[in-house]
Amino acid sequence: MARYVIGRVLQFVLTAALASVVVFVLMQVLPGNAAQVALGTSATPEAVAALEAEYGLDRPRIVQYLSWIGGVLTGDFGTSYVTKAPISPVIFNSIQVTLIVVLASMALALAVAVPLGTAAAVLHNRPTGVIISGASQIGIAIPNFLAAIILVMVFSLGLGWFPSSGWQAPIEGFGGFLERLVLPVTALALVQAAILTRYVRSAVLEVMREDFLRTARAKGLPAGRALVRHGLRNAAIPVVTVAGVQLATLLIGAVVIEQVFVLPGMGTELVRAVSNRDLVTVQGIVMVLVVLVLLLNLIVDLLYSVLDPRVRRAA
Amino acid sequence: MGFRRISGFTAAVAALALTITGCSAGAESSAGEGGDSARTDLVVAHTAEPVNLDFTTTAGAAIPQALMENVYESLVRIDQSGELQPALAKSWEISDDRTTYTFELQDGVTFSNGDEFSSSDVKFSYDRVTSDEWQNTLKSKMEIIDSIETPDETTVEITLQRPSNSWLFDLASLVGAVFSEDAVDDLANQAIGTGPFSISDYTRGQRIVFASRDDYWGEAPALEQVTFQYFKDSVAAANALRSGEVDVLGNLQAPELAGEFESGEDFQVLEGTANGEVVLSMNNAEGVFADQTAREAVLYAIDEQTILDTAWGGYGTLIGGMVPPTDPYYEDLTGVWEHDVDKAKELVAEAGIEGEEIRFAVPSLPYATAIADIVVSQLEAAGLQPKIETQEFPAVWLDKTFTNHDYDMSVINHVEARDILTVFGEGSYTGYDHTRIEDIAQQADEGSEEEYVSGMQEVARTITEDAAAGFAFLFPNLIVAKAGVQGLPENFVSDSFPIHALAWG
Amino acid sequence: MTTRRSLDPTLDPTGSAELAGETVEPGAPGAIDPGAVDAAAKPRRRRLNASLVIGLILVGLVVVMALVSYVWTPYNPTEAMPEDRLQGASAAHWFGTDRYGRDTFTWIMFGSRITLLVGIVSVAIAMLIGVPLGIIAGMTNSGLLSGTIMRGNDLLLAFPALLLAIVFSAVYGPGTGPAMVALGIASIPGFARVARSGTLQVMSTEYVMAARAANRGTFAIATTHVLPNIAGMVIVQASVAFALAVLAEAGLSFLGLGTQAPAPSWGRMLQESQQFLGTRPELALWPGLFIAIAVLGFNLLGDGLRDRLDPKLRGRD
Repeated sequence: MARYVIGRVLQFVLTAALASVVVFVLMQVLPGNAAQVALGTSATPEAVAALEAEYGLDRPRIVQYLSWIGGVLTGDFGTSYVTKAPISPVIFNSIQVTLIVVLASMALALAVAVPLGTAAAVLHNRPTGVIISGASQIGIAIPNFLAAIILVMVFSLGLGWFPSSGWQAPIEGFGGFLERLVLPVTALALVQAAILTRYVRSAVLEVMREDFLRTARAKGLPAGRALVRHGLRNAAIPVVTVAGVQLATLLIGAVVIEQVFVLPGMGTELVRAVSNRDLVTVQGIVMVLVVLVLLLNLIVDLLYSVLDPRVRRAA
Repeated sequence: MGFRRISGFTAAVAALALTITGCSAGAESSAGEGGDSARTDLVVAHTAEPVNLDFTTTAGAAIPQALMENVYESLVRIDQSGELQPALAKSWEISDDRTTYTFELQDGVTFSNGDEFSSSDVKFSYDRVTSDEWQNTLKSKMEIIDSIETPDETTVEITLQRPSNSWLFDLASLVGAVFSEDAVDDLANQAIGTGPFSISDYTRGQRIVFASRDDYWGEAPALEQVTFQYFKDSVAAANALRSGEVDVLGNLQAPELAGEFESGEDFQVLEGTANGEVVLSMNNAEGVFADQTAREAVLYAIDEQTILDTAWGGYGTLIGGMVPPTDPYYEDLTGVWEHDVDKAKELVAEAGIEGEEIRFAVPSLPYATAIADIVVSQLEAAGLQPKIETQEFPAVWLDKTFTNHDYDMSVINHVEARDILTVFGEGSYTGYDHTRIEDIAQQADEGSEEEYVSGMQEVARTITEDAAAGFAFLFPNLIVAKAGVQGLPENFVSDSFPIHALAWG
Repeated sequence: MTTRRSLDPTLDPTGSAELAGETVEPGAPGAIDPGAVDAAAKPRRRRLNASLVIGLILVGLVVVMALVSYVWTPYNPTEAMPEDRLQGASAAHWFGTDRYGRDTFTWIMFGSRITLLVGIVSVAIAMLIGVPLGIIAGMTNSGLLSGTIMRGNDLLLAFPALLLAIVFSAVYGPGTGPAMVALGIASIPGFARVARSGTLQVMSTEYVMAARAANRGTFAIATTHVLPNIAGMVIVQASVAFALAVLAEAGLSFLGLGTQAPAPSWGRMLQESQQFLGTRPELALWPGLFIAIAVLGFNLLGDGLRDRLDPKLRGRD
């Protein structure tokens, strides 16, 4: 077990290191002269060169990479030459927004999907189960931004229950924070819930076919009770895996929702930095997102090895 | 058709009527705390966000829009009717040879950091514009200055190299901003000026909070706090107004929504004028459109009225040239190139450009993409083959089209005041043969006021007649606000969105 | 190799493929023998076919629309009729018109081309790169080559589709092309994993062992035994990836980073309809509906195909 964990963590570090190189190289091929954009349309070549020197862009690439990654490792993402401000606070602030929205919608989605999916599995040959399955198929097919637009139309512009956009940090007022969180989280959770319902359903179906459940039922336990007593832990394994992986995709998948609700999250910052040709910021945000995705995969793997005895045995 | 307007006056009357009948402005607004009229704060939504607070080194209209007149002041300013007014200068005198300007400065002016304002700050600031510290294109407007003298604390004497009719007007723009010598180290994040507001909070990309200054030298603003809230998406901004999170839309970029706001009583829609000419630019120097016949074909093919009606909901004014009606040398040039598809087809055949690919560089801005769709349709009807290449704005468009002139055709709103000579001048991306207007323009600037007007009219007419570019329409200044808001800057004729006069009725 | 289940961020939202196709050590408890026929394959067959049939109908609708648009549409898509702008449904304009007076039905028909194009190209990229890599990794199981491929896969997994697409749009400018390539690259790991786990199973079957014993070449084994046996799983994955690509393209176009004017795309139509939601909501309804139809169609098709092509699963779900 310990060997597995160490190996897996090493693999994470290696992949993250490789990813940092990929990110850095990607930024080097971006067209559009950043110094030109920062300085406006009449900048003299001397001014551009001076700015490049000021930010160390005239050094060899490898030196630039090492000084960047060195900073990143100590939490310093450098200074943007477009906004002329340090990037770390931008990342720190936006990551909170994204994580809050994404985690809240995942929690909501699971709260909906686990009972619905289980019901769909237990009742899989009854109309209720079929309806849940069908509804979840349709839910998956609706783009989340369409759901977001409809939610705004109905609950914000129509009924006036919630603000249509914006963000308030919890410390600035918890009521306002919650109020602004409801619609974006619901929009993201709706589609997630549909996806997860299907996973929960298949996981539970899978477990229901396992021998130990058949045995339990043969002993006279009702299906539902047998499932709760013996099956849910087993069904949880694939669901945890899927939820973790979905979280990773949501981190960046929330970008469209962030745009609709004008949330200052990672996606918004990334899109803004790209259109401003704010390369250092793009580089920092992409790096953080990539590491978060890798980290989530690592956590899921480790969690999985805890939940599934087969992995422990194998390792 | 389509020129709709609710005047500020009508709106104010409507607002008054609402207050009298005790009807609050919209159930969804924050009417809970005794109605909006008691509020001392106001939130304005804008769609173009400043990347930082430093217009001395960063291009873009969003920074001066937020800071000029509100935080920074110049010696003079332009009022809502486009006239020059005193600002930090109480008065000024112009010498007989029209090259020396003597400004008498206001007394008792302080910067928001407590520094005293004096003539030396003016000299420091204006010397700095022409130094390497300034990187903004617009700095060239100050290159005409020969010398700046400060005979005493409240007098500034500026001598120009030659007489100029436009310089004092230019001075009202951002190049005239007066800085404190101690407060220019971190302009990108710290804005210290003499204006009625100081910045109390700045969250990049999200909001700027302006707090009114107790020690402002002039009349105190009515509101204690004004927030500029930035929305990338204009529909989201409109939604925020409808659901009560913001009070004013600074410039509605989704004009089709204006009708909905106009129909109710909760909101007022103001359509003022602005300096922005939406130019259908063509590369006069290279490629397909180096040939004037080809450019004429385009001008006959496009129907500006239809462009305005379909792309921008009919809001805006047809101009036919590069001069807005608020400028002294405006002349209606809409009749020069009447829409005529048959004529366009003839010219397309004459120029031999039928089916030839035309690279249409479209910046990724709402109005530009909206206009591109209908322009493509009209050009295709005349037998041309435009191919849209969407370019991210600002980065890619500035680089490819504006700087490297690598395009055949583009569409962009030139927002700067009196920008005809920069857009069609030497080195401009339009590639226009500037020698055709250069001498006329120079003489006009040096001549008397009448000579200035007639000379500049000739410049504008020459450019239009040479088919140097298409002029789709004058961009409207569409402000939507809750019915109770007063003192809105209806016209966008300077480079500022002044918030000094904003108040709740 | 580990026995952990595959972590595929492209995730097939239909669920069961992932769980059924888990990466299992050959011979380990629970290993699936693709050749085995489940004796309990009878019940609920009818419902399973229903997803296949509905899926085929919905996908067929989109495909037919795209094909017909090459020979006939009611109007020219770029033809503006300003006097007819913003009309509701009528005999002349079945789905009404947009703000330029262009026919919405024509746009929906043309939009289906972009939708299919994005799906086909991105799936083709992912399949052509991912499947061979997965087969190689599976056949050289636990070798250096296999390890390198799977680590490369892990690296690719760290760049989700939308992230890659946003970066690509910055590098190559926004457009359908960069979007398709980005979505394709981001879907590679999904195909590689499916192909690898399938290959691992096939390699442990007796006939492959026999073939190896008979010194059949690796390439021959790959083409005659592995490929035909994993084709079903790959097609299922393709169907699911197709649905995801359609959704992703719509999202990108909505952000302005996908298909550009004047090309008719459903995502762009949705984006442009936003200012008209209060007055002409059908401008959003039609593209939204057809995006949902396409995604639902491909997902159901994937479901149905899975049940058809994977005999082990037949009747189980």
